[in-house]
Amino acid sequence: MILDMAFKNLIRQGMRSLLNVLVTALIIIAIIFALSLLNGFQAQALRNMSTTDVAGGHYRVPGFDILTPTEWEDLTLPVPQALRHLPHSEKAEVLVQQGQLFPNRRLFPVQLRGINIDQSLLDLPLHTLKNGRMEIGETIPVVLGKQMAKKAHLTVGDTVVLKWRDKFGAVDALDVRVMDVAPMINPRIDEGVVWMRLDHLRQITQRAGEVTWVAVKRPVGPVAGFEFQTVENLMADLLTLLKHDRRNTRILWFFLIALAGISVFNTQILNVFKRQKEIGTLMALGMTSKKIIRLFSLEGILTALMAIVAAAVLGVPFFIWFQGVGFDISHLSETGFPVREKIFLDIKMAEVVYSTLVTVGIMVLMSWLPVRKVARLEPTQALRGRAIT
Amino acid sequence: MRNFFHLKFYGLILVAAVWGCLTAPVGAQEIDPDRLLVEIDNNMWSDTKFVIGRLVIDNGRRVRTLGVETWMQGVTKSFSHYKSPARERGTKMLKLENKLWLYTPQTDRKILIAGHLLRQSMMGSDLSYEDMLEDEKLSQAYTAKLEKTELLAGIKTLVLVLTARDKTKTYQTRKIWADPKRKIVLREQRFAKSGKLLKRIDFKDYFATGDRLFPRRMIFRDMLKDNTQTTYFFDEIKFDLKIPPKYFSLRILKR
Repeated sequence: MILDMAFKNLIRQGMRSLLNVLVTALIIIAIIFALSLLNGFQAQALRNMSTTDVAGGHYRVPGFDILTPTEWEDLTLPVPQALRHLPHSEKAEVLVQQGQLFPNRRLFPVQLRGINIDQSLLDLPLHTLKNGRMEIGETIPVVLGKQMAKKAHLTVGDTVVLKWRDKFGAVDALDVRVMDVAPMINPRIDEGVVWMRLDHLRQITQRAGEVTWVAVKRPVGPVAGFEFQTVENLMADLLTLLKHDRRNTRILWFFLIALAGISVFNTQILNVFKRQKEIGTLMALGMTSKKIIRLFSLEGILTALMAIVAAAVLGVPFFIWFQGVGFDISHLSETGFPVREKIFLDIKMAEVVYSTLVTVGIMVLMSWLPVRKVARLEPTQALRGRAIT
Repeated sequence: MRNFFHLKFYGLILVAAVWGCLTAPVGAQEIDPDRLLVEIDNNMWSDTKFVIGRLVIDNGRRVRTLGVETWMQGVTKSFSHYKSPARERGTKMLKLENKLWLYTPQTDRKILIAGHLLRQSMMGSDLSYEDMLEDEKLSQAYTAKLEKTELLAGIKTLVLVLTARDKTKTYQTRKIWADPKRKIVLREQRFAKSGKLLKRIDFKDYFATGDRLFPRRMIFRDMLKDNTQTTYFFDEIKFDLKIPPKYFSLRILKR
């Protein structure tokens, strides 16, 4: 009977109930959207890092840190025996050196990255280098990322002077030819990076057989002279950033929930105030305070349940549409995030259920809190509408 | 008619002789290139040296002038103190052996210039910090070979190709235009291993100071850049003076 009454009351409140349901539904949609968008962003960033740079971890020369370029130039070693036999699909040998490019006769410090051109572990758009010759002619073939090419004002076919130092410290310079300007999905391997064949970089720097690191599909145990850097280590900065982002999303989540709670709380206070005579009548007819509280609380619960249905009706088509168009975040790639162009939602069911349950729980709590004062009402005062002033 | 032919014949011989004098490595048989290099070093280098000078840096867009005082001891120790402009005043640079420290009063810190930083432009000039470290006696670091003779600004010079004695030298090849009479260098070119020209230095307005000849200015050009040049004016120079050891101590790198 109470359920029937609660439902009828809800319908009778018309626009007020509808607005409550809609606000709550939109908040549920917004929470799921924000969480799923962050998931999508995180998944793409980690995937891009993994497929273009990190793979399953790096065997690095001890002491090498990509963020301290003034110190790492001479941190190269011959490829260890334990990694030599790995097939090209399971390892990528990389040599990193410093260089100076002179596009339009301006100085442009760059990182020279030589990668074994036969490797297939990392997904890099360097196929134009594969077709080149092993011997260095008058120019060295290189590939640039789009961002790098844009900043250096270089295009395919351009020839520009590159200066570097060899293993012994002697300065050398030669023209490099831009064979391709390739879209890199990871800006960390794009901006300031000049890609060339590993054999070419080894040859010009006199570092025959040497590498800075070997990216592997999976760890092969300890390797003498090298230290293994796990995926977590290599992505530590990114993971920390994402952790902060998740915390920020939680703050947003909290505000949205608070907004929904305040909305229901406000409605319930208004209900109790405006429906004093109804409460007095129900009491006069013999309904206990507890039952009246239950009735009002049930109205709040029904609002929350209807909001879930509305969220499903409005949210599902919206999410389907969104997955088709994505969210343009190309501007973020300039800040160093390994993401490009668009991200898509990564909806996790556990998060959806959890968020919905928490929202409903808050709604129920907010429905119950204001109507507690019904228990203290005098039926005679309530009938005259003077119990709450 | 016969006399005319004789005249023509002797004339040709005379022209050939003059041409030979100008183009052939004149006096090459008497001049040992390595010996000449030693004599050039003897003229330029002394145990100690103090210079008050100006670095005029023209980067193609604007010209900056830095006032600098430099104390040098041998080839391994050097201390520079920048006096002007206001922005650079108090900046100090200390070279000890193959290490270079930079002190800026704004940060009140001394920085060891190492690795990649060495290749950066020094104070926006055409010189790199590495070039500062490379300041050394040519005769000790290079072997010389006479390439040709050439007229440079009306002076007959010997063009010597210098090859580094060991492979750790930044510039494996240099070329100098030396005046064999005055034992001075008029021009120097520094090359990459590949043979690409990287730097050019012109030594101008030699003047006598004591028993030496020293250039009044040196013009540095980074040949990989456009429209840039750095001129080092030597306004005052003193040789073989006593320099207190504190000038070559890290303790001097403070306000």
